[in-house]
Amino acid sequence: MIRNYFKIAWRNLLKNKSFSFINIFGLSIGVAACILITIYILHESSYDSGVPNSENVYRMTGQYIEDSRVNNGIHFSANTASTVLKDFEEVENSGRLMANQLFYRAGSNEIRFDGEDMQHHEEGFTYADQSMIDIMGVNMVYGDVTTALTKPKTMVISQRIATKYFKSENPVGRIMYLNGNNEDPFEITGVMEDFASNSHLDYDFLITLKDVEFGEGEQTRWIQNNYFTYIVLKSGTNVAAFEKKMGTTLIEKYIKPAFQSAGFAGWEQMHERIKMYLQPLTDINLHSAHISFESSSRNDIKIIWIFGIVALFILIIASINFVNLSTAKSANRAKEVGLRKVVGSTRSQLIGQFLAESILISLIAFIVGIALSALLMPLFRSMSGIDLIMPWSSFGFIPIILMASIFVGILAGLYPSFYLSNFNPINVLKGKLSSGSKSSGLRSSLVVFQFTISIILIVGTLIVNQQMNFILNSKVGFEKDQVVQIYSTNILNERVETFKEELEKLPGVSSVSVSDYLPIEGTKRNGNSFVNEGKDGIDENIPGQAWVIDEDYIETMGMSLVDGRNFIASRASDEQAVIINQAMAKELNLIEPIGKRISRYGELYEVIGVVEDFNFDTMKTSVRPLCFFSGISPSITSVKINTSNVSAVLSSMEAKWKAFVPNMAFRYEFMDASFSKMYDNVNRIKSIFTAFAILAILVACLGLLALSAYMVEQRNKEMSIRKVLGASVQTIFKLLTKNFLALIIIALSVAIPIAYYLMQTWLQDYEYRIDMSWSVFAVAGIIAMTIALVTISYHAVKSALINPAKILRSE
Amino acid sequence: MILQLKNIFKWVNSGGNRVFLLNDIDFTVNEGEFISIMGPSGSGKTTLLNVIGMLDDFNEGEYTFLDEPVHTLKEKHRARLYKEYIGFVFQAYHLIDELTVYENIETPLLYKKHSSSERKAMVADMLDRFNIVGKKDLFPSQLSGGQQQLVGIARALVSSPKLILADEPTGNLNSTQGEEIMQLFKKLNDEGVTIIQVTHSETNATYGSRTIHLKDGLIVNN
Repeated sequence: MIRNYFKIAWRNLLKNKSFSFINIFGLSIGVAACILITIYILHESSYDSGVPNSENVYRMTGQYIEDSRVNNGIHFSANTASTVLKDFEEVENSGRLMANQLFYRAGSNEIRFDGEDMQHHEEGFTYADQSMIDIMGVNMVYGDVTTALTKPKTMVISQRIATKYFKSENPVGRIMYLNGNNEDPFEITGVMEDFASNSHLDYDFLITLKDVEFGEGEQTRWIQNNYFTYIVLKSGTNVAAFEKKMGTTLIEKYIKPAFQSAGFAGWEQMHERIKMYLQPLTDINLHSAHISFESSSRNDIKIIWIFGIVALFILIIASINFVNLSTAKSANRAKEVGLRKVVGSTRSQLIGQFLAESILISLIAFIVGIALSALLMPLFRSMSGIDLIMPWSSFGFIPIILMASIFVGILAGLYPSFYLSNFNPINVLKGKLSSGSKSSGLRSSLVVFQFTISIILIVGTLIVNQQMNFILNSKVGFEKDQVVQIYSTNILNERVETFKEELEKLPGVSSVSVSDYLPIEGTKRNGNSFVNEGKDGIDENIPGQAWVIDEDYIETMGMSLVDGRNFIASRASDEQAVIINQAMAKELNLIEPIGKRISRYGELYEVIGVVEDFNFDTMKTSVRPLCFFSGISPSITSVKINTSNVSAVLSSMEAKWKAFVPNMAFRYEFMDASFSKMYDNVNRIKSIFTAFAILAILVACLGLLALSAYMVEQRNKEMSIRKVLGASVQTIFKLLTKNFLALIIIALSVAIPIAYYLMQTWLQDYEYRIDMSWSVFAVAGIIAMTIALVTISYHAVKSALINPAKILRSE
Repeated sequence: MILQLKNIFKWVNSGGNRVFLLNDIDFTVNEGEFISIMGPSGSGKTTLLNVIGMLDDFNEGEYTFLDEPVHTLKEKHRARLYKEYIGFVFQAYHLIDELTVYENIETPLLYKKHSSSERKAMVADMLDRFNIVGKKDLFPSQLSGGQQQLVGIARALVSSPKLILADEPTGNLNSTQGEEIMQLFKKLNDEGVTIIQVTHSETNATYGSRTIHLKDGLIVNN
């Protein structure tokens, strides 16, 4: 019996080739989209699950409330980790990472191995405790996993780095010098396996924290927060209760007294303003969107939901095609249904038969879909920026796919099979069946649904693209074009000034500035606090950035002073001067700031200028308070060029570099490129979203194409008679298309409010955002209409041009 | 006696008027009869045949089929009855286009509890009997009208019904093909199959043992 079902299903597939193609191809696209997105989602939600004991590992997060503004952070003081381990029996282990570039050697360094001459630039340095290796379950290729970081001045490098510099040789015991500092050797004590692509950590160098102290007393001070702190709880600990107890104890026992002795005005209220939380290790990747200073490579659970829903919608749109085409084509099957009933089939047997058919189609679609997704995998990989793989070998992949295909087959086939099996044989055999028009109401609403989704996706895509372009091209308070950032200039030590002067002499260079602080995420940042003169311990401290710049910085960056003057190189008194941004002036309530003095930890600085606010975070946040101090921070030298012959300038700069540093490669980046890199993640999401929106629309159009073909076929006789009676080609075309266009217009009117609401919500995340104008909706509407019209026209025109004699003769 | 109709009425309401499709039909069919129903277009021939075949309802009257009172039976029970005992032959053959000759004949058996080897034997028997063994793998579109109708009859007979209902079985055939089909019916009838056919043709009617004339849903003579 089943064999018979499949046989007839197969023959039906072959008989209606275009119908089957659209069904299978559409469904395959849906399946491929679902598979790819599922793999993506699984990857994103599998972060750190490979860490042994991961369910008991937590990262400490904190909340600082200031004038009802809530800041979430992940930086804690150096002694938090050891204190927590000591004070609470629930804590089994604790460890720290210190990756803040503000501190020497964290972030990026120039490295040189003992016995070699060349300096190499490497990134991904962090300080780490030995216990972090234990907590993260790091596996070692060489070296002792239990003691690798227990001695001072030791370092563990990743396998990737080891292979890059030592090939297959064991580098343990080799000495490494950082930034040309030949008096300060580090010993390589281990090679660890690279962090997995689904680890929230991505470091290549772990420098031991053993005996490290950044400034006197830093390791025991409570108010200097620079460390990521991880703890392992004993299994069975009540996390919520412990979280509360830990927070209260730390604040009351340590933080309050520390603030009190530092003379901080509001120390008594600290318990109201500081909250501490424990974030499960496996939540870090997807649930850190609220945390500032978190790596921009973190994903967001919202994105995961959106992608999941989009994938599901594509599958639903494809399934709707199946339902629509099956019921539309029902007349073709009606005779068979009637006959089978007459010769003895029961209704449930017929339902079984039609379900078997849709399962067969679904199975084929899934096979094609898997092939399609494997084919698209490389593209998707580069789009998502993740090394995703098809989980062929993973347990359950094939059975799950098989089950999913049967499930989709049943779901898509359910309505058609009930509908088809319900035909009354007598009507069918008499030929009385009004062919396929019975369920046209349902078909229409399904088409409306498909196009509603498609239009929402079109609007979404347009607005996401607009917003991204807005961010990348809007005025950010500085000029990012034609600026070359030369890295690693700290290797020059005091010669950096000379290097700067040499560069300034080059033709095509308009100005040169040396500073590590750039309005680009990932360059140096810090946190100081400021207060007006004489208000120490009285007024609230204003947290703000303290950037060290030279006198050419403002010009090179194309920033503008709204008040006062720039630093002057020769003026010694400028060492006690400060330039503040507008946000800082506002926070400090300085109406006429020039000449006023502000205090940083008791030291006074005179405000000599106010710089116009510029963005130095992503455009998601508003501009925070900031101060410029005069000085040298030598890692990055920025060069503003004023010529179109960029390559000539670059090669002359490189020649200069070679003259200064013969043993290290010239490394540079254009500022606009590094600026747009800040939005890599957003850009990736944009392109994935766009791709899947296009897929959804494509599948919806396939369905519309088939449906219109069928509707036109249905009305061929009517149109022929009309033509014989004198109807023109245009009137026939209009007649055939107007019903579909009405559906699209309904879909538009449903989609626009929904899209407006959704995109409004999305835009809320951005401090700097576009206004949604009606034109976006108009464009989306026109796109949808045009696509639909072109799709329908194909068959409508064919029908309008047909020779009526041909049709009528065969009646 | 195989079936008996008693005062069967069937009507439709059209604009307040009751239009009778079957008007007080009374007749009995005995086992082994070959009955022809004749009458002008719209006289209710096909409706009567469908009522007998239990494909269609009637509004009033009593219908007894093999001692079962059909008018009191539930739809499901009725369906079981006609599937078991009645074979249908149609004017337009109504073969399933996607199935081969062999599969078309096999279809009714699929819905009864026959093992696959039983089915094979039964279909082979039919193919043999109608001399179409050589065509068993062809599709309906590859056959002439007469051949298609042969397959239609083979399909109707394969599950050995007690009664064959044929609605203008030769209506789409030329005279030679038509005559062959009628000869076949005659032969089947001789073998003991009860047949009721609807026909327009006096010649075809002569193959039957009895003719019923219908006009406006009324039996004119018996």
